[in-house]
Amino acid sequence: MPSPSTKKDPYLPSKIYLYSSLFWLALGMIYGLILSLKFLWPNFLAFGPFQVFFQYGRIRPVHTNLVLFGWLTMANIGALFYVIPKLCRNQLSFEKIAAGTGIVWNIIVLAGTVALTMGFTTTTEYAEWPLWIDVLVILGMAAVALVCFATIATRKEKQLYVSLWYFMGSLIWLIGLYIIGNLPYKLLSGVPQFLIFWFYGHNVIGLWFTTVGVGLIYYLLPYLTRNPLYSHKLSLIGFWTIATFYVWNGPHHLQNGPIPLWLMKAGVIPSVLLIIPVWSVLANVFGTLKGKWHALSRNTPLKFLIVGAVFYLVTCLQGPFHSLQGPSSVIKFTDWVPGHAHLPLFGAFSFVAFSFMYVFLPKMLKTKLYSNKLMEWHFYLAVTGMFLFAFSTWSAGVLEGFAWIEGAQYGMQFVEMLISMRPFFAIRAVAGVAMLISSFVFIYNLAMTIIKANRNSQNEEISAG
Amino acid sequence: MSGYEDEKSMLPYIIGAVILFFVGTAGTTYLPFYDDQMQAPNQNAELRHLSVESSEYRGREVYIREGCHTCHTMFVRPVLADSSLGPISQPADYYYDAPAMLGTKRTGADLMWVGNRWNEDWHREHLLNPQKVLPGSIMPRYDYLSDQDLEDLIAYLMSLKPSPQTEGRPVE
Repeated sequence: MPSPSTKKDPYLPSKIYLYSSLFWLALGMIYGLILSLKFLWPNFLAFGPFQVFFQYGRIRPVHTNLVLFGWLTMANIGALFYVIPKLCRNQLSFEKIAAGTGIVWNIIVLAGTVALTMGFTTTTEYAEWPLWIDVLVILGMAAVALVCFATIATRKEKQLYVSLWYFMGSLIWLIGLYIIGNLPYKLLSGVPQFLIFWFYGHNVIGLWFTTVGVGLIYYLLPYLTRNPLYSHKLSLIGFWTIATFYVWNGPHHLQNGPIPLWLMKAGVIPSVLLIIPVWSVLANVFGTLKGKWHALSRNTPLKFLIVGAVFYLVTCLQGPFHSLQGPSSVIKFTDWVPGHAHLPLFGAFSFVAFSFMYVFLPKMLKTKLYSNKLMEWHFYLAVTGMFLFAFSTWSAGVLEGFAWIEGAQYGMQFVEMLISMRPFFAIRAVAGVAMLISSFVFIYNLAMTIIKANRNSQNEEISAG
Repeated sequence: MSGYEDEKSMLPYIIGAVILFFVGTAGTTYLPFYDDQMQAPNQNAELRHLSVESSEYRGREVYIREGCHTCHTMFVRPVLADSSLGPISQPADYYYDAPAMLGTKRTGADLMWVGNRWNEDWHREHLLNPQKVLPGSIMPRYDYLSDQDLEDLIAYLMSLKPSPQTEGRPVE
């Protein structure tokens, strides 16, 4: 934040985003834990005004929006503002606008959280915020895109590195799909509208969080391993196939549902073809690591990066499988789905963001990380939490799916099925605790790094003065 | 690095990203509006076409406000897991639904045709204290709703019924 020094801080926009993202991460994770506890004790926090403002149906979107747009989007933009000038060998253009959007983005997340708590929702998953907030989001994202594209346009390094392709694509796609996904929700209707909801819901993961995350993997990996990128050709294949196939994925969310057959095919075939981009990324990751695997044992940010990349692979092998009629008829609508959704967002791309912040936040502050031991703790707690969450929800999901097939579809039979899922819900809550603690360890570690760096710079000024 | 001349310009990436995005968008979000099955409402859709002044419409607003759609689907598929939920959902059923709430997660039961399943009194008891009616249920209590909201919500839930034609019953 603003230091007494008169020198301009080139990383200020990036810092505003990254610092804020830590706050929203903490809040979003707390909401997540409350949700998981409500599976065990539905009357948890159900007293006084809390009964309304922490009612499950209201806070589920609060949780998803906080972690998606408060935490991961802000972390991503913070990373873009740092990485793009590095790859272009120049300074961030329109620094003031960039810093301004950081403040606007915080207001947006706060306003959205309040609106959802009050019960104003559009029901569009991951786009529940009301229309007036959506307008601000689009203006904010347009400003972020302007900053990024202007920086790339005025670059001193002619060659566009693969990360920059992903970043350019992501910025264009996010704006496009956010506009389409947030068309006034009472304007359209019926199944075509629901298709738009899932066009948005799926693509915001695939064409924003995934593509920025993959761009960051391509930046971090050679940096951390000090190996050149394994294959240029693979990165080309990966980029153009994800750009071609991902956008078609929405209809598979209506698998076995009320949509025409042609549309189902148009949704499922590209879903299966998505194995190509994910495998080309992973082949590139493993190729780049060749001869450097030993570095994993000592380098915690690299651990985060590689485990994140592997989680990305697992997610994208699951996805095509889910989109098929047979598997979908068992696991769709069950607890398998949140397990699958947490894997890319917490497992894969939050891990990439953790890795980025551990490496580059201390660099921006010209200092060292406060504690490597805490970073190691964060890693193991986060991985344990992710595994517990994934396996408890996947197991519960399959069992729920087969219980429905046996006839437990409503009334007391449905409830009996839920009661038998309690052990899995308990494991999921434990996973929530582990993930929450891991995030607090992360936040504490970076907060101490920031505080110590600020203290040092003040001392320097005093001694210099 | 000199071998990649085409990677020195931003244009191929920008143009490529935009074109590929719009092709997929047109295919999955625009074309469906022009599919025959989406074009006309059926009898079920007419039953779900609520007038803004009706109690059912206000109930639907309560349903949205309280986030019922986060746990309840309205989406009956031709699969075994949905076999006792009632008639299979058709695109035309949802013709007037804005927003369409087909849902993604069944933490509670599907509500597509819940109006056929219980009566008003059951819903009232259940909404006020789900655990009393269904011991072990993890649905929250909705005893904080105003009487008006509660009755509207019940009216909406009771309106979620298939038309006689859909059920193969004679039309009155």
